[in-house]
Amino acid sequence: MMRWLRNMFYRVSLGDHSYRFLFEPGPPDEIVVLDCETTGLNPRTDEVIAIAALIVRGQRIMMSTPFRAVIRPDKDPTSTSIKVHRLRAQDVAVGRAMHEVLPELLRFIGGRPIVGYYVDFDIRMLDKYILRYIEAKLPNRRIEVSSMYYALKYGGAPPGTVLDLRFASILADLGIPSLEQHDAFNDTLMTAMMYVQLQDMQKRGTRLSRTRIVHQVAPIGA
Amino acid sequence: MPSQSMQGFDTANPPFDRLAHQEVEELRAVLDIGYFSPDEMIVRQGHASDLLHIVIKGAVEVRDGNTLLAVLGPKDSFDSRAVVHGAAGEDFVAVEETLCYLIPRNVVLDLIRHNAAFAAFFYADVSRKLDAFAQQRKTEGVESVLRARIREARQGGAVFVDGATTIEQAGHCMKDNDINALFVRDGQRVGVVTGMNLSKAVVLRRLALDTPVREVCHFDVVSVDGSDFIFDALLLMTKHNKRRLAIRSDGDYVGFLEDIDILGLLAGNSQLIPGRIDRARNLDDLAGAARDIQGQVERLHRQGLKVDLIAEITSDLNRRLFRKLFEMVAPLAIRQDGCLLLMGSEGRGEQTVRTDQDNALLLAEEVPDGDLAQFREAFSGALDRFGFPPCPGNVMVRNPVWSQTLEGFIRQLKAWVFSRDAAAAMNIAIFFDAVAVAGNPDLVVRAKEALIDLMRGEAALLAHFAHLIETFTTPNLGVLSTIMASVGVGSGEIDLKRAGTFPIVHGVRTLAIDKGILVNPTAARIDALVQIGSLDTRFGRELTSALHAFMEFRLRSQLRALHRGTIGAESVVRLDEITTVDRDMLRDALRVVRQFRELVRNHYNLGAF
Repeated sequence: MMRWLRNMFYRVSLGDHSYRFLFEPGPPDEIVVLDCETTGLNPRTDEVIAIAALIVRGQRIMMSTPFRAVIRPDKDPTSTSIKVHRLRAQDVAVGRAMHEVLPELLRFIGGRPIVGYYVDFDIRMLDKYILRYIEAKLPNRRIEVSSMYYALKYGGAPPGTVLDLRFASILADLGIPSLEQHDAFNDTLMTAMMYVQLQDMQKRGTRLSRTRIVHQVAPIGA
Repeated sequence: MPSQSMQGFDTANPPFDRLAHQEVEELRAVLDIGYFSPDEMIVRQGHASDLLHIVIKGAVEVRDGNTLLAVLGPKDSFDSRAVVHGAAGEDFVAVEETLCYLIPRNVVLDLIRHNAAFAAFFYADVSRKLDAFAQQRKTEGVESVLRARIREARQGGAVFVDGATTIEQAGHCMKDNDINALFVRDGQRVGVVTGMNLSKAVVLRRLALDTPVREVCHFDVVSVDGSDFIFDALLLMTKHNKRRLAIRSDGDYVGFLEDIDILGLLAGNSQLIPGRIDRARNLDDLAGAARDIQGQVERLHRQGLKVDLIAEITSDLNRRLFRKLFEMVAPLAIRQDGCLLLMGSEGRGEQTVRTDQDNALLLAEEVPDGDLAQFREAFSGALDRFGFPPCPGNVMVRNPVWSQTLEGFIRQLKAWVFSRDAAAAMNIAIFFDAVAVAGNPDLVVRAKEALIDLMRGEAALLAHFAHLIETFTTPNLGVLSTIMASVGVGSGEIDLKRAGTFPIVHGVRTLAIDKGILVNPTAARIDALVQIGSLDTRFGRELTSALHAFMEFRLRSQLRALHRGTIGAESVVRLDEITTVDRDMLRDALRVVRQFRELVRNHYNLGAF
């Protein structure tokens, strides 16, 4: 309800009316999976340095037509963020300015629902720029893969059940091969693979066994 | 950021390992990923597909009607037929949540047009595929020889003479032993004298024939250890300008390695073995030749020779060996009136690594009991010593059923034909593959003609005989493996003999008896059946290729089993130990077997059993 009201507000106050398509429904049966790499975890002070997005049409991940961009931020990436993303200042320097990238990204996303892992964070980061640019926030419906996973795995679990919603744990539990992480494109691709499987399991009413132990290799350098 | 378009796609996985860098990039740029829910039909039998699928995760069943043929897992691809030839051979159904890379058809066709090595994977004919992938191993030829151990090479034996031996005696000694060099023991020293040393001493230095060899031999012996590599020997030969090296083992000289022996390793020394068989003067000599034949199989295979040629060469050598043994141990009466038969795979010329003794003796006339008893023991016993395992069905000369007069044997054949039990049918099958290797070949022809007369046109008899083909049904390739793997036990294996070779060989054999075809090799029988119109030309070719594919896989398993010393599992191939391409080829070959089994089943109305 709040979001609907908010979207109504943005819709009428939209700065650039050529972006009205964001408020129209996207092609049925399509969603966009999105992931941003950032200089840190604070939306107020940190910046987006890479964006990747993929369209999923039905059960097909359109990997051949991805959206990917490296952004040139106003401040250099910190050494911590370099460790996580391996994007060094010189890599980022070849990136493009956000104001160039944003229109392309918005057109790519269109009215499609946005899927991600902790997607609220990514959208909050992006909204920072979008608000400045079109005087609106992303109105798209959001789908959180960790919530989908939670419902199938822990829905109705007795109190005290230990939850494990780590990215690598979900991957391992679903049997999806792990690609090199903290690359925006690979993270997006893995999220898309999680999404298609979780969505199908949801539809079929299958649940994930809680007794199954997920072995996970300790993450290195992250 | 490095511009990796996609990191998950494994380009080391055949057939994608055949693509050039540029082609890989083009391929990666067009990949999508598809998700399939459990029970979802991905490609339907008989239908075309616009996409080649490569499994990322999950499992895909390959089904033909209600029969489960295989379960595909990660890195397996499907279905090249549906993409390239326009019609899938089977149904492909997801069994669990499955993700696949999707390659558009036009991209696959483009790569096929421009990259011959990649294209080979998509050939419709099993034979062309097999050829293309056999090519790969050929390049290993020279290198594998250099890395062979010296003891693997044929080598001249070590014969020692005393330093006081005369030049003349030494020359005779070489001739008698059929060697070109001798070790000379002179007090504490050991030297070497060669034929060339002797000739030079006499011709150039005009030394008397009674000069002791210690005068003409040299004591600076250059030697290698039997466990050294061939390239060690080559280096020494080059460094010391020698064409011959002494071979040591545990501190003793055990023989000589000549440059020609190395050449023999490289070319395969099959041309040298007949000489060795002919020259054999006792059973020990023959045992050596038998070992040579086995070593030869492995070398020829390593050098990339096709399996049907290896089988042909090996059969030819084995027949010479058996003939020589027969001449050595058979009493005169048996040599005059007898005919030695090789049967089973040896008789068809399809044997590579030796398995069982399948042999028999037919006699034109009764021979004295004592002669026969002596021959039975001597012949079978010698083969035991050569390392030919005894036949579990006791199909060998030692067994009186398999060494008797033609008349008696024809009576036996009749009894088998009318007994209608499976063991009798197996005996008939084994005999029908008989080939005469020594003695009067007329005897086996007469016995076979008698057999064909008994069975020809006898629909019920033939149907009964053909029914053996149902003994082992084609395995559900992979189904066990997934089930077993999911409970953590064992893994997928298939018995090549039961699943592949036997149904083809026996089906073709039945048709050959039916049509009175008297040639032995299965491939020749298939050709003959095609000639008279019993088999379609194309299908005949597929059948032969499938047989050769199974022989090739079997040979590999056998060689591996030999190395590991796990005899008994030699016709088993473990699916997780072979490449995706091999699994794919095995699938193709098993499909041909199924079609053939169906054909035989319909032809002899086996449904009625």
